[in-house]
Amino acid sequence: MSRGRIYKPSQVKLSGARMYDLVREPVITEKATMGSEHNQVTFRVPLWASKPEIKAAIEGLFSVRVKSVNTLRQNGKVKRFRGMPGKRPDTKKAYVTLEEGHSIDVTTGV
Amino acid sequence: MQVTETNAEGLKREYKVRVEKDEIDQKVQDRLKEVGQQARIPGFRPGKAPMSILRQRFGKAVLGEVLERAVNDSSQQAMEERGLRPIQQPQIEVESFDEDQDLEYKMSMEILPDIEPVEFSELSLERLKVQVPDSEVDEALERLASHHKDTQPLEEARPAEKGDVLVVDFKGSVDGEELPGMSGEDHHLELGSNRFVEGFEEQLVGAEQGETRHIRVTFPGTYQNEKLAGKDADFEVTVKEIRETQPVTIDDEFAKKFGEEDLEALKQRVREQIENDYAGLARQRVKRELLDKLSESHDFDVPPSMVEQEFQQIWHQIQHDREQGQLDAEDADKDEEQLKQDYRDIAVRRVRLGLLLSEIGRRANLEISQEEMNQALIQEVQRHPGHEREVFEFYQNNPEALSQLRAPLYEDKAVDYILELANVTEREVTTDELRKMIEEEAGASGDGDEAEGAGENKAAKKKSGAKKASGKSTAKKSGGGSKAKAKTAKAESDGASDKGADSDTSGES
Repeated sequence: MSRGRIYKPSQVKLSGARMYDLVREPVITEKATMGSEHNQVTFRVPLWASKPEIKAAIEGLFSVRVKSVNTLRQNGKVKRFRGMPGKRPDTKKAYVTLEEGHSIDVTTGV
Repeated sequence: MQVTETNAEGLKREYKVRVEKDEIDQKVQDRLKEVGQQARIPGFRPGKAPMSILRQRFGKAVLGEVLERAVNDSSQQAMEERGLRPIQQPQIEVESFDEDQDLEYKMSMEILPDIEPVEFSELSLERLKVQVPDSEVDEALERLASHHKDTQPLEEARPAEKGDVLVVDFKGSVDGEELPGMSGEDHHLELGSNRFVEGFEEQLVGAEQGETRHIRVTFPGTYQNEKLAGKDADFEVTVKEIRETQPVTIDDEFAKKFGEEDLEALKQRVREQIENDYAGLARQRVKRELLDKLSESHDFDVPPSMVEQEFQQIWHQIQHDREQGQLDAEDADKDEEQLKQDYRDIAVRRVRLGLLLSEIGRRANLEISQEEMNQALIQEVQRHPGHEREVFEFYQNNPEALSQLRAPLYEDKAVDYILELANVTEREVTTDELRKMIEEEAGASGDGDEAEGAGENKAAKKKSGAKKASGKSTAKKSGGGSKAKAKTAKAESDGASDKGADSDTSGES
């Protein structure tokens, strides 16, 4: 991570509706709140979302500047219901680091 | 916290209290932390949730709680700082409060007046001591005897006379209709005892054994049974037997009937009882004198709301009495306004004395022990035979009622305390003198206030009357019906009347 780099606005252009598709909900857990100390916010995003898209959506929706986006796929747990194996859907989380001086209050909702 | 006095008129006080938001915020935070230790929030282990989330979840509830406590605490503190003693909970009106605002509220109350009791040793009182003469004891014994007359069948047949006991069967009807409770068999009826409706017994005088008589009587308008009140009734009475009363000789044998060894012991017991009665009377008199003196020597403002409350209570009682048609004779010819004024004066006096006594009690650190309380409770319970359980429960569930029981006790203690300190002279009087004095005084001060000595007592009585009303309602619920109600009402009036009169020793058997 190059600290001193100049902020580059996102190249991706998104329509309003698509932004809302991209950002499903904030993840509010102990682990996610740990990130808030480093100006990080966590969202659940669709599996198909890409980092530039997420960045554009967050910037568009919350009017903040995003420094970086880290994503991860979380595999759904294998569960059994009446002996039949089943699987919970996979999810994707995005750890969004904001530029200094910017913040999103996840507790108040969009 | 800032407190400003906005109004101080007489005994009324009004304050404006302002609590800064920081203070409140701090309290909210503390409280939230406490809550957070226990709260289970998805995504967090208990106690690990961050403040922002706690605030979002519980903020409002905690704020309300904190505000309430802040109001309580600050008002308490404000009162303590100023050394105010309100007569009841202050009325609080919150003017503004919100998350990021100072809390502001108005607090209004009435405070207890400053009471400076007089030096008790300056009070001079007179305590009467009564010597019970033998004649009085004998009289009581005779009365006792007359209640336990023996009867014997007539040796020679003759018409019934007054004082005889008739064994009768009777059947009564109103307008040709027989009602329950109007017939009886083998009833022992003493002529001249006035146990039956007026005129009933008189019409039986002269009846012969075996004779059947028709009797017509009119029930008085105030008869207990409403169906019968004011109606004419026909009775068919068969005289089965005429019994003669036997004079009872007062001797050891007689004494044994009452569970005493011999006549001397019985006499002793009767004497003790009479002495007790007179002692009670004398005490009442001293108490009254004391209260008179106290109310003369004190003059302080009385909280109007307390007076109003007391007055309402009295007035309620008066209204009640009036409905029952038993208004004091003296009050009958006064108009409403006059009455109200009179009773308001009484209320002021009562409140003043009550405050004074409680202040004295407070200074003397008088306390009512649990034991005394229990005793009073048991006494009270015993006054409602058949409903002991309900009465007991009523008191257990109503601390307020219990404190009403406590009041007379406390008052008595305070009076005792003063009497100890006061300059009391003793004087021996005979029973007649005492009775005369009390009558005179009662007549003199007269009015609804009927002798203030009883005045305070009356207050207590009245209070107990109110209590009974509630007790009664429970009794009624329990299925005693109107009969039970009438009975208690009667018992009540009996209890009230025999307090003044020299009491009858026959009660003990």
